[in-house]
Order: sequence, then C-alpha cells, then structure tokens
Amino acid sequence: MSALDEICLIIGGPQGSGLETSMSILGYAFARKGYWFIADREYFSNITGRHSYIHLCVSTLPVSSLRYPVDILAAADAETIFTHFDELSIGGVLIYDKGVLGKKLEDIPSIEDTTRERIAGKIKELGIQPTVSSIVNHLESSMSVKAVGVDYQVLLRGLAAKYTIDPKLLSRYVSGIIVAMISLVLGLRKEVSQDAVSRFFRGRPIIAEQNNALIDSIYEMYSELAGIVSLDTPTARPGKLMVVTGNDIVAIGKIVAGVRLQSYYPITPAADESFLLEKYQVIEADESVIGPIIVFQTEDEIAAVSSIIGASLTGARSSTSTSGPGFDLMVEGLSYAGMNEAPIVITYYQRGGPSTGQPTRGSQSDLLNAVFAGHGEFARVVLSSGDHVEAFYDTIDAFNIAEKYQVPVIHILDKFLANSLVTITPPDPGRAEIERGLLSSGGPNYKRFDSSKLISPRAFLGAKDTVMWYSGDEHNEYGHIEEDPVNRIKMYSKRIEKLELIRKELPLEKKITLQGHDNPDFILVGWGSTKGVSLDAIRALGKEGMRGAYVNLKLLWPFPGEEFRSILERFDKEKIIFVEHSYGVSLRHLVAMSTGLIIEKNIAKFTGRPLTREEVVAGVKKIIMGETLRMVAFHGA
Amino acid sequence: MELKWNYRTNVWPDWCPGCGNYGILTAVYKALEELQLDPSQTVIVSGIGCSSKIPHFVNVNGVHTLHGRAIPFATGIKIANPSLNVIVHGGDGDLLGIGAGHFVALGRRNLDIVVILHDNGVYGLTKGQASPTLPLGVRTKALPKPNVQQAVNPVLLALASGYTFVARSYAFDTPHLKNIIVQAIRHRGSALIDVLQPCVVFNDVFTAEYYRKVTYKLESDPSWDPYVRNPEEADEKRLKAMELALKLENKIPIGVFYANPYVPTFEDRLAESLKIYPQYNPANSPIERGKKPLMDKETLERVFSEFIVEVKE
Repeated sequence: MSALDEICLIIGGPQGSGLETSMSILGYAFARKGYWFIADREYFSNITGRHSYIHLCVSTLPVSSLRYPVDILAAADAETIFTHFDELSIGGVLIYDKGVLGKKLEDIPSIEDTTRERIAGKIKELGIQPTVSSIVNHLESSMSVKAVGVDYQVLLRGLAAKYTIDPKLLSRYVSGIIVAMISLVLGLRKEVSQDAVSRFFRGRPIIAEQNNALIDSIYEMYSELAGIVSLDTPTARPGKLMVVTGNDIVAIGKIVAGVRLQSYYPITPAADESFLLEKYQVIEADESVIGPIIVFQTEDEIAAVSSIIGASLTGARSSTSTSGPGFDLMVEGLSYAGMNEAPIVITYYQRGGPSTGQPTRGSQSDLLNAVFAGHGEFARVVLSSGDHVEAFYDTIDAFNIAEKYQVPVIHILDKFLANSLVTITPPDPGRAEIERGLLSSGGPNYKRFDSSKLISPRAFLGAKDTVMWYSGDEHNEYGHIEEDPVNRIKMYSKRIEKLELIRKELPLEKKITLQGHDNPDFILVGWGSTKGVSLDAIRALGKEGMRGAYVNLKLLWPFPGEEFRSILERFDKEKIIFVEHSYGVSLRHLVAMSTGLIIEKNIAKFTGRPLTREEVVAGVKKIIMGETLRMVAFHGA
Repeated sequence: MELKWNYRTNVWPDWCPGCGNYGILTAVYKALEELQLDPSQTVIVSGIGCSSKIPHFVNVNGVHTLHGRAIPFATGIKIANPSLNVIVHGGDGDLLGIGAGHFVALGRRNLDIVVILHDNGVYGLTKGQASPTLPLGVRTKALPKPNVQQAVNPVLLALASGYTFVARSYAFDTPHLKNIIVQAIRHRGSALIDVLQPCVVFNDVFTAEYYRKVTYKLESDPSWDPYVRNPEEADEKRLKAMELALKLENKIPIGVFYANPYVPTFEDRLAESLKIYPQYNPANSPIERGKKPLMDKETLERVFSEFIVEVKE
C-alpha cells in the first residue's frame, strides 16, 4: 500500500478505559514526527462504562477537520465494533480483541435501545449475524478489511504477572495495547511511541515502563504488520508544535491577557479551562512574577458572574467560563454589567441544548442567546473563534475590548473546540497588545459615569481619595439613582452608542474574514467551529474543479452588517450557503436583521457530533446542483 | 473630636418616616466615625430593596447590586482587593430568600466581610409580602391570609454556615447597634448582624413598640461570654450560641452570640497556596509591560512546555 498524506482513525471503548490517554500519547508521537492532527473526543455524560470514542485525522499537512470513512478502527471492546463497523473504509484496518469474538449485540447492556435497533437493522440488511465474529468476517470478505485480532487478556495477564498489577486496574492498560497497535500499523518507530508514553506518564515511571513493555511485546509479536497503513513524510517540518485542546489554549490566552480572577461553577465543557488556570496561578517569568491568578469556584453561576463584576470594579481583569445552562443563570449579571459599564469576559462553550440537552456534545445553537439575552438595551460584544489559534488571540482581544469600551464581552465557542486536541504552531504573545482603555486616578468629586465623553475614564474601587457609586438602577454621572427623563436619555444613549464606536473602531480582520477563490462557484458562510471543516471541504472540492470561498464571521455583535454586505454583494447571492451546527442556522437571522439579505441555503447538523468533511462536500454538491436548499447532516455515532 | 471624614452624602433618603432603616443608617455613620475608615478604602455593597438603597446615603464607595447578589459581588471585590473594608447590606428577603445560597456560601469561606441584615419580616418595596423571616401563621397588614411558610432563623443559619462573628441588634437602639457594627468590622472573618428593623408601613405585628417590650441585652447577663478565647472552646461556645439562637419566644436576646477569631479567613486560605497573596492580588498585580503582555513567545513555550513538542526525526 502506498504512503498516504492523511489517515483517519477511530479508537473506541468504554468510558474510563484510557481513551483520552491513547489520544494524548498518539498525539505526542505524531507531533514529534512533524505530523498535524485533529482529534475529537465523543463521550456520554457518564464516568464509567458508556461508549466513547476518539475520531482522529493525522496528516502531512495542517488538517482541521475529520472525515468518514476511517482507515483504522481500533476497538477496546465489542460495543465499539457494533457501533462503528460500517465506518471503516474498504481496505482499512480493524484492531480488535479476540476475546470478544463471541459477543452478541443483545449481550451489551450499555447500548441504548434506539442505537441497538438501528445496528440490528444494518446487520440484518447485510444478511449477517449480530455477533462480533460475523461482523469481522463480513469486513474481511466484503470490505477487504485487514482484521487484526489481538488477545488482550493474554497480553494483560502477562503484564500482570510481570508487574503484580491489581486485576481491577488491568483494563486501563487496554489503551496501551491500542497505542502500540496503532503506532505499529502506521509504521512509527518503537522509540517514537515509547517516548510519547514516557512523556505522558512523566512522574509515574512505573506506569510508563509497563506501557512500554506492552509496546515491546506487540512490536515483537506483530512485526509483520509494521507500516501496513503508512503516512508520507511530513511536507514542511515545523521546529515545534503545540498540542492543545480548546480549553487549554483559551486558558493560556487568558494568562497572557492578564486575567487575575476567574470565577466558575463546574460545567461541561468549560471546567477544564479553569482547572488549567489553577495549575498556573503564579508563574515565574523572566524578571517578574505573573499573578496571582485567583481561580474561584463559586456556589453557582450567578455568584460566578456577580463576583467577576465585583472584581472588575477593582481593576482586576476578570472572567468566567460556562456553557448554555450556566450562561442562562448569568444573564441578570450580564445586564448589570451592561448598565454599569463593567468590563467582564464570559467564555461561553456551547453544548447541545435545550435544557441540559446533550451535556457532552457540541452545538452552535446559542448564538441568539449570546447576542440577545438580558433585559433592556445595552452594549455588549460577542466574539467567536474559528479555531484554536484564533481562540488564543481572541481571548486577549476579549479582555482588551471589555476594558477599552467598558462592556461585557461574550467569547462564544463550543464543545468541538473545547475538547478537540490539535496541533498548532505555538502562538506569539508579542503579536498582542494589552489595552486597558481610558483610566483615571479619580480624586475628589470623581464622576464614574462622566457623560462628557462616550467612554468615561475609569477609576478603580480603592483609588486614593476617590469615592464612587454603582447601581443597576438608572443613575446619574456619580452613579446615584436618578429617574429624571433627560438624565435617562443622556445615560441610556451613552451606553448604547458605544456599540457604534466598537463597530467603527475594530479592524476588519477582527470582524469578518474571507478566504478562498476570488471568483467562486460557491461561498460558505459560517462562524466558530465550522471554519476548519468548511476550508477543508473547499480544498477537497477544489480538487474536483469546484471553486469555493469561506466567509468567517468573527464579530457577531455588534454585527458587521455593512462589511458583510460589501463582501458578499460581489458574489451571486444564489451561491451563498450557510453552515452551522444547529437546527435553525441562526446566523441567517442575524444577517437578515442587519443587512436585509435573506439567504435560504444551508448545511446544518444538530446531532451533537461535528460536521465532517465529506458531509460538507456532499451538501455543497447537492445544493449547488439545485437538488435541495438545505442539507441536514447526521453522520457519527 | 474633629472628624477627618464626612460620611454623609447629600442624597435624600427616601424611606418612609419612622422606618427602622434610619436607625441603622445612623448607627452606620457613627460606627464609621468611630473607626475613622477611609471612605476610598471602604465599600458598601447592597442588594435590592428599601434597605439596599443605603450605599447612596453613605460617603464611601457604594455598589448597589442585584436582588440577592450583594454577597457574591462583595466576595469578588474583597478577593480581588483584600485591603478594602467591605460591608454588605441587604434585607431579609434579599439575603435569606433569593440570596440564601450565597448567604450560606459566605459562611463556608469565612471571607473577611460584614453582612448587615435589615430584618423586618416583609418585602417592603414591593408592598408588604411575607419575607423568609416572617413566622408561620402571622398575618401582617398587606397579607390577604396568614403566612403559610415558616421563618428561617438568621442567627442559627449563620452559625450553622460557619460565620465566625454572629450578632443580633435592634435598629432603634443606635448605640447598641453601633457597637456591634464596630466589633463586626474589627473581626477577621465573616460577620453577620441580624438587625431587627420595624417596617412602619407593612409590618403591624413586629413594631417598634413590640421590640421595645421583648428585646433584652445579652450584655446585661454577666455569665454570657460569646468570645472564643482559645480554639479549644470554639465548639462549645458555638453550641451555646445555637441554643440561645433558638430562644425567640416572648424574649428576644440582642448582642453578640458568637465571636471566633481563630478560624482562617478565605484570604488566609488563599495565601496558604499562593504565598504572594494578598500582598500581590488581582487588583494590584501588573498585567503588562509597555502595553505588551508579561510573557513573550519564548517564555510561553517554556512555561507551557507540557504542551510543546519538539519535532525530530
């Protein structure tokens, strides 16, 4: 088999069996070789036992989307085989446990009834039996799949005998078997994956040694499989790569931005960001100490937002991170921050709603919530990020905008970004500025809400010889309650007119970007996590002679309507297709509202799983051919 | 004695004539005068309701917040800048109804702030609904029927939640209340003062006349000693305070129930793991050098080396 420039794989197994560990170890190994990858982690709202999987694509070039079918399926258990067997490509590789060959579909309690019925239907259609062995035979005979059966129990028992491991902990080493098999099949040198193992288990040398022993035995036992699906050498080797999740890179961005208080209430998929911040509360930098960064776990999201508003009044850069249900609780605080021109940053990782919805799955269905939530009219800014690198710089921008314009900023992201592990080139803080906006040292007779300017110079609580007031009620320049109609007009307008100033002053590239062909056959329009998959689909369609462009909306409020119009009026409106992880494709509503453009064509997905490359490709083709106005995608278990 | 600061603003208090809040406001002025707190280093944080208008009448920093949320706002202010004196004012509906979760959480932290609870048994500003401190079966003026919910006991709840200074006072006994406020501000840790406060318009049951009859001062009992003098006696004194807190029948004690300076404050706990806090804190630690982040690319790669992979053959 000739070397490929991209390989996609799925690693599946029960939650708690170390899949995340496999993902990280393989990630280190790939990055060390100079390969780029993206890995999505799909899991249930559960700690142990439910089916979870890693969907990963590794490439010789930067890659920012996933695709089906996959080239390798590595199964820690029988459920993975039942769930994903039809996602393997012709001639792909199946890595499975010989010990589960006899398992029947009905033997597996963790499969949901609806899923079981659907799988049973597929199996029936193929005319095979609902057992692992029957599926393996089918894959080998009808799909030319190379099925590699490994006796997990024998390997684990051997390991247990050598190292006296508690039998209860043995299942954790299945991830070690999988890492070993995948690196072998991909033709990675043994040392590369063993280094990655040692790196991952730094500080736990025994565990590293045990996993490396597994790699030794597997490389010896299955040497004939070395490199049966191999990757080409990387095109351009970067000197260094950074391997991060979205939660990681946002936390790092916050540290660079100078966050000093992060309050949070635990919620998926936001909590890992706060965890990472907590690891870096005090940093010894060159000549200085950075910090302390106080990470404060509150009693609820209301307290989280309230405490960061309080902290922001003292001059501390303050933020919180949450998801839809938590944001809903924060809304009264958001309105207060708007009324009191308090600079706060809310990092909003969307997940599947409504209500608790799909706690561990992704969505982009909260755009209108972020833009419109909160009673009354006030200025707020909503920013989105298309990928991990953007998220780093946007995080810094979020704090700058919040302080410069004295507004709450919502940085809207999602679970796809939060939990996906990717390679990026390390970002450069030197490209960023820290802008604190108009500050005042206060003094006697200080007016916090001085209305002679749109942005009142801000003094902090605690400023020498300065006293100021804040109130959620309508107030005068001193912050005292005042209901006079003329004062109302003055203060109300001052708060809202800042929106126009923000719209005017933010540079175009922070609002909206256009990538791709100058004279496109189709234009995809999206925001946030549709960027990577859209660009990769455009590249794939380019190979088939279809020219595409992508419009990435970064600033969602105040909406850059004029810029949007001026970019899109160059093109035929009929060629525009919106892409969004939602049912309603809400970006269309913002566009219609702000520009008068009604655009119907869209590609949508609301299963909680990310859009994949071939889905967007198929959607574009169908829509451009005039077969449909809307394509709803649903691939992925 | 010449006063350095004037603690009065010229904002007109718009409470009803005869409101207990006037007594509380007077006691606050007198306590601030006695302690000579620098107005610029003092913050009054309040919620929503009649009582919560108080920051506008006091010439120190004032943050008039959301209904029930004064404590979390105050918590953010105090954590970010621990050198500020932070005093929370709120009503019983505010602090024990909508804000009950925050009230309990503050005790768990023992953050060094003072909570002054204006306790009048009703929601005054919305015209007299029953509040969480109105006892079961009581029917005040505005209620169409007797109250069907029972009262929460603020002193007992504060003791159970972990407040380390817990007291009760009476709005129209200004000298008594002033003394308690002074003690509460001097105390290191979370302090609650439950202030019995007549609402002349809506509470015709718990009136000034009633309180004059039933309140008695704990100070007048020489055997009552609420002050923990060494950590060993903390539990016993807290138990005694709880027992006393349950006694509300016809006789309401006012005074200090419990004061324990030996419990680490939240600031102390943060400093445990962050040695540079509170000397360096969110409000005073630098975040930029000449408009640039404190970290360059090289430092970022060093600090976050766990995420960096060197590419090699």
